[in-house]
Amino acid sequence: MASTTATAEPNYFEVSKGFKSWALTLDHKRIGLMYLFGILVSLLVGGAFALLVRIELFSPGETITTAQTYNRFFTLHGAVMIFLVIIPGIPAALGNIMLPIQLGAPDVAFPKLNLMSFYLWCTGAALLVLSIIMGSIDTGWTFYTPYSLDPSKSAAIIPAVFGVFVLGFSSIFTGLNFLVTIHKFRPAGMGWFQMPLNLWALYATALMQVLATPVLGITVLLLFVEHTLHIGIFDPTLGGDPVLFQHFFWFYSHPAVYIMIVPAMGVVSELITTFSRKPVFGYRFIAYSSVSLALLAFLVWGHHMFVSGQSALANMVFSALTFTVAIPSAIKVFNWTATLYKGDIRLQTPMLYALSFLILFTIGGLTGLFLAILATDVHLHDTYFVVAHFHYVMMGSGLVAFLGALHYWWPKFTGRMYPERLGQTCAVGVFIGFNLTFLPQFIMGSRGMPRRYWDYDPEFTLFHRLSTIGALILGISLFVTVVYLFASLKLGRKAPQNPWGGSTMEWQAPTPPTLYNFPEPPVLHELYDYSDLVEDGDNGWVRKSEQAKAKAKES
Amino acid sequence: MADNHDAHGAEGGGGHGHGHGSPFIQHHYDDAKHQFDSGKLGIWFFLTQEILFFSALFVAYILFRAHRPEIFRYAHHYLDVKWGAINTGVLIVSSLTAAWAVRAAQLNQRRILIGCLATTIVCAFGFLGIKYIEYTHKVHEGILFGKKFDPCISSGGAHLITKKNMCEGTKASACSPGDIDQRPDEPGWQVACVAYEVHVKYDMVQGTEDKVTKDPKTGAETTTQVPVTKEQKTEVSRSELPVCQMVSHGAHGPPHPENPPCWEIAQNPNVCKPDEVAALVHYPDEEKRGREVEIDLQCDPAPKATDQGDIFASTSDSGHRFGKPTFVSQSKPSKHDLEMLEAMGPPPEHTNMFFSIYFAMTGLHGIHVLFGIFVFIWLLIRAIKGHFTPEYFGPIDYAALYWHLVDLIWIFLFPLLYLIH
Repeated sequence: MASTTATAEPNYFEVSKGFKSWALTLDHKRIGLMYLFGILVSLLVGGAFALLVRIELFSPGETITTAQTYNRFFTLHGAVMIFLVIIPGIPAALGNIMLPIQLGAPDVAFPKLNLMSFYLWCTGAALLVLSIIMGSIDTGWTFYTPYSLDPSKSAAIIPAVFGVFVLGFSSIFTGLNFLVTIHKFRPAGMGWFQMPLNLWALYATALMQVLATPVLGITVLLLFVEHTLHIGIFDPTLGGDPVLFQHFFWFYSHPAVYIMIVPAMGVVSELITTFSRKPVFGYRFIAYSSVSLALLAFLVWGHHMFVSGQSALANMVFSALTFTVAIPSAIKVFNWTATLYKGDIRLQTPMLYALSFLILFTIGGLTGLFLAILATDVHLHDTYFVVAHFHYVMMGSGLVAFLGALHYWWPKFTGRMYPERLGQTCAVGVFIGFNLTFLPQFIMGSRGMPRRYWDYDPEFTLFHRLSTIGALILGISLFVTVVYLFASLKLGRKAPQNPWGGSTMEWQAPTPPTLYNFPEPPVLHELYDYSDLVEDGDNGWVRKSEQAKAKAKES
Repeated sequence: MADNHDAHGAEGGGGHGHGHGSPFIQHHYDDAKHQFDSGKLGIWFFLTQEILFFSALFVAYILFRAHRPEIFRYAHHYLDVKWGAINTGVLIVSSLTAAWAVRAAQLNQRRILIGCLATTIVCAFGFLGIKYIEYTHKVHEGILFGKKFDPCISSGGAHLITKKNMCEGTKASACSPGDIDQRPDEPGWQVACVAYEVHVKYDMVQGTEDKVTKDPKTGAETTTQVPVTKEQKTEVSRSELPVCQMVSHGAHGPPHPENPPCWEIAQNPNVCKPDEVAALVHYPDEEKRGREVEIDLQCDPAPKATDQGDIFASTSDSGHRFGKPTFVSQSKPSKHDLEMLEAMGPPPEHTNMFFSIYFAMTGLHGIHVLFGIFVFIWLLIRAIKGHFTPEYFGPIDYAALYWHLVDLIWIFLFPLLYLIH
């Protein structure tokens, strides 16, 4: 087995020690791990703000805080979760760790740029924290003008928008790095259609990161100079156009939603095939649908602005284009379902998350169609229906897939197994808590409960209470998950090389991988072919052919 | 590991000895070509994001220009085509030398390489220098974005004249006599007290008139010349109005007709010597009747900072602080100016938006030029150290591509901002 050869070379934890060896590392796995740590901390912070919002809404009127503070809570919840957790979650953290290994490559194309991306992320996060100290923003994560132009908010908005600008460039450089790595570091024999679907998804994501994020960059930069120099491009009192801000913002932020969901789709493709022990059904369709989602992402931003005074023609065009998004999404869901059919399904934690994803994404996707219909959108716009819809997509799909991927690759890059039973329990807790939180919000929204309100009519009390209870279950499950994952670093059982029977290249790397991932060049097997893999007790899954070879060597 | 890894860095210097020819081929690449190709693809993706980064500003430009074409037609006159054209030339030259530097590196011509890189840097500094001249000029004249758009005399077409002569160093602001004390003390800053916009100009013309008296006895007519002061009504287009006009800004707004007369002081080289000021008096009573009377006063020495406070008082005391009204005619703008003024009229509402766009686009472009300077200095140092070989010249190639994009963006900005017709 390859692990015997791996012991010859120290793994990437052992190869060097000390603060400097991490702070200045160019190793994609260490950078990814540092990202992961930052993201998990941000997840707890963003989650805490979410719980504060939910607790405030437990009863009508003032429950724990004033309306003004409540505005800050939901703004910070949104800004932290989107810019610090979900957008970098799968690509920058897990993608960083797994992308080169899945390619059988020693590192990403530009390791220094990779490190710089990480420090940009840290700078952006620090600026967001600074904005909290400076009085905290209350504009919602969308920073809509002209409300966000109020000079009395400048002290908090200036660091916040500059932080988002910096985070944007972190994202752009990560995307650029991944694009070049996938183009130039595929091993001989791995064509575009022999790539794991996760890489297709990361490629599509990176494409969006590079093409959409700069528009956010210039938009928040203009907001920045709006506050520092009063340049007036978005300021109606100076002749500027506040709706232009919305156009620019959503030109990025709609693709940003897909930056969150497409990599989630990538890892779910991997999880479903591995835990069904079946080759993915409709590989090419899933691959193409990732890329077509990336392209469609750029054509539908106007559906955020149906009631912002867009022309009727523009509304119709954006509505129609939005419907087309359902096609690639549905292709994926059908293909994943077909992959499950007659599969050898094992309900381990990552698979539980993957199945949760399937259900939650279907709900999130289909409710999106309600909002794409012009007439119903007028009714549902800015209600809890929208809140529930995008949480089903961004959290129910994006974050759930992130958790699935985290459990799936955790043994590979940490070398330790997490507690399986606890993991399964928390996965079920996340699923139940999530649905309890957001299903009532669909009902509230369709009955007219507006989003971002601090107070509500008493008839919504029951739904708000259910939602808050669900949020608490969700919060506890996530908190326990983060705790047991960190604990497993010390207490966990040593992980075998291939604990899940995965067929892609990363399972050939030693656990944990060495500095350049593969002491020996990995063998390119047929993608998603599980016939050769057998379970071998505590050694995890091994390839029959290699077992036979090793035996022949011994004798 | 950090040390170990540093050696992989492009500028780390240490070789890994993996059979790579240049010490700058990083460990995780197969060979020099692999590294070069990866870098090249990377820079192309980077340039793509740069284009998108600028694209929002171009979109804003298109929208604002489509909605308010008059602003762009009007305001581009404030830009100096000469400087824009020179800068275009400078950037094109620098692009040539940047491309030439790549060729020189490929052919191992170190001296040409160093020369080309140095020329590129010099041109880049030249570009920024010219931009500095343009910007300071605009700051000086208050031709900025947003509320800072406050050209020295916020009047219609008069501005263009004043840019050249009339209000050099003056600042118009609406004021009432009580505000006179708030004038800034800096030399060259005078307060202009602004009256209402008028469309009819009344000049008091001194002349003679033939007075025919008929002798009742003889019936003979004798013609005597008597001096008269006549009110001559001239219809003038708004653009021809002299210095004092309505402004739409300022904390005080236009002076109220009930206010006592106020002064406008303008340094006017055409009328006065450089150290003198011309003063204009507005009579609100006349304005109440819908007309403005302007009496040019004789040129007097410019008031010193010490006696600025009592300009108004002194006039009300003596009435002749600046000398007797002698109806000196206004300086006439040149024919060219008049044509321009005729064509332009007063600035359209929100002319400041042009300068929002102008400063956003050229400012962002300037930051890119500045960044390019740092990159080329870094390349120059490395070239002097002899790092670049025909096998390893990627950084020069990438920087040159970046520089071409910066050049290209300017090639778009120049006609879009300076050459509007």
